[in-house]
Amino acid sequence: MLSRNFRLQKVGNMQWLQTNYNFSRISYSLDELIVLDVTRGERNSTDFCEALKQITKGCFAPISAGGGINTIESARNLLHSGADKVVINSALYDNSAFISHLASEFGQQCVVASIDIKTSLDGTYRAWLDSGDKCLEGSAAKWIDKVLQKDVGELYLNSIDRDGTGQGFDFGLLDLLPLNITNPVIIAGGAGNSKHLFSGLSDSRVDAVATANLFNFVGDGLKQARESLVSGGIDLPLWDIEFTKKVSIS
Amino acid sequence: MTNTNVTIIDYGMGNLWSISSALQYLGSNAVISNDPGEIHNADTLILPGVGSFRKAINALKKNNLDQSILEAVKTKGTKLLGICLGMQLLGTESTEDGLTLGLGLIPGRVDKFNPQKTKEYKIPHIGFNLVHSRTDAHLFKGLPQAADFYFVHSFRMLADGLIGKTAICNYGDAFLASYEQDNIFATQFHPEKSQTNGLLLLKNFLTL
Repeated sequence: MLSRNFRLQKVGNMQWLQTNYNFSRISYSLDELIVLDVTRGERNSTDFCEALKQITKGCFAPISAGGGINTIESARNLLHSGADKVVINSALYDNSAFISHLASEFGQQCVVASIDIKTSLDGTYRAWLDSGDKCLEGSAAKWIDKVLQKDVGELYLNSIDRDGTGQGFDFGLLDLLPLNITNPVIIAGGAGNSKHLFSGLSDSRVDAVATANLFNFVGDGLKQARESLVSGGIDLPLWDIEFTKKVSIS
Repeated sequence: MTNTNVTIIDYGMGNLWSISSALQYLGSNAVISNDPGEIHNADTLILPGVGSFRKAINALKKNNLDQSILEAVKTKGTKLLGICLGMQLLGTESTEDGLTLGLGLIPGRVDKFNPQKTKEYKIPHIGFNLVHSRTDAHLFKGLPQAADFYFVHSFRMLADGLIGKTAICNYGDAFLASYEQDNIFATQFHPEKSQTNGLLLLKNFLTL
């Protein structure tokens, strides 16, 4: 799916995904992979888990998965299908006990709290639930505070305004964070080139940058982006990509 | 590459799919089992683990898997690799959530990170971090002496006093990242999540 400000455009099925994204090839240019089920309407979790298994087969990096997760069973299914962490968004609002249960069952580090933010007409930031369908009352900053009080691990901050635009991250989102935050922060929404990723990683409030832009996955884009970040002085982990050519059987 | 038969111990905790994917990718015959008999007869064992130490030990005991592992390792000399919580379970005991006895295959205790040393650090320790290994370590053959691996844990063991070949990671606290002695191997990090560094380490374990 291609997304722009959360309006989805179907680009292809699993076959297309395998051919064009081919995670087993580009996964060595990533640190971690996030796979979200953004299906509007009724979700089929069995299908998603099967798709997740396929997508992650050749990916030997940490994987987070989510989309409509609000039961321990659905979380467990993801964790048995290749995911190491579960991404929770709407359930943060309507299901507090679930978050504690998730954390006690799988560990707090296994829960990634995802927050989607958009600027309203009066210029203030508001948080949105249900794939950008429902606007939360109150300021986005207040919601972030509430979320951080729950048993969550990493915080995934996504800009609906910048989503799919390739215009760069919205650093205004970082001003919404409490100064004493201890959770790792992942910023998402808008990355179009390695300069954006560089700016993100250079901000002390950011622990990780996320990108879903199609053009970042085609060809050698991601590999080159990673190389330029490393040569630019960003302390990314290093590994030998050539190793797989010597050892790959599948 | 010679075909190796690996049995991944299933006691209900751990990302079995990722480990078996990695082993299959490396050309190994990976089987997932929770049967004490199969574990006793295995050529090579892997003990994965994510979550609570106490829950894990209880789960192992419930199916007599703890006994099978100990017998296989001590009497048959079966090669064993413990990963993450799986490494900690091989320790003598853990102070997570009270005091729980481990399998005692690694003479070290599992404790939380030293709060004095990790004041500036976020716990749990999540992410890639440098592991400093010895040049004669089997697991790290072909890897740089300082190589990145993926960690996700709140408790750790220390290398102090351990006789085997140890590798260290610094996170405020300098803790035990990896251990090898005779047929016992263990990593605090996840090799199946550590990109090609992890694949090479797993390959080294398989081809021992």
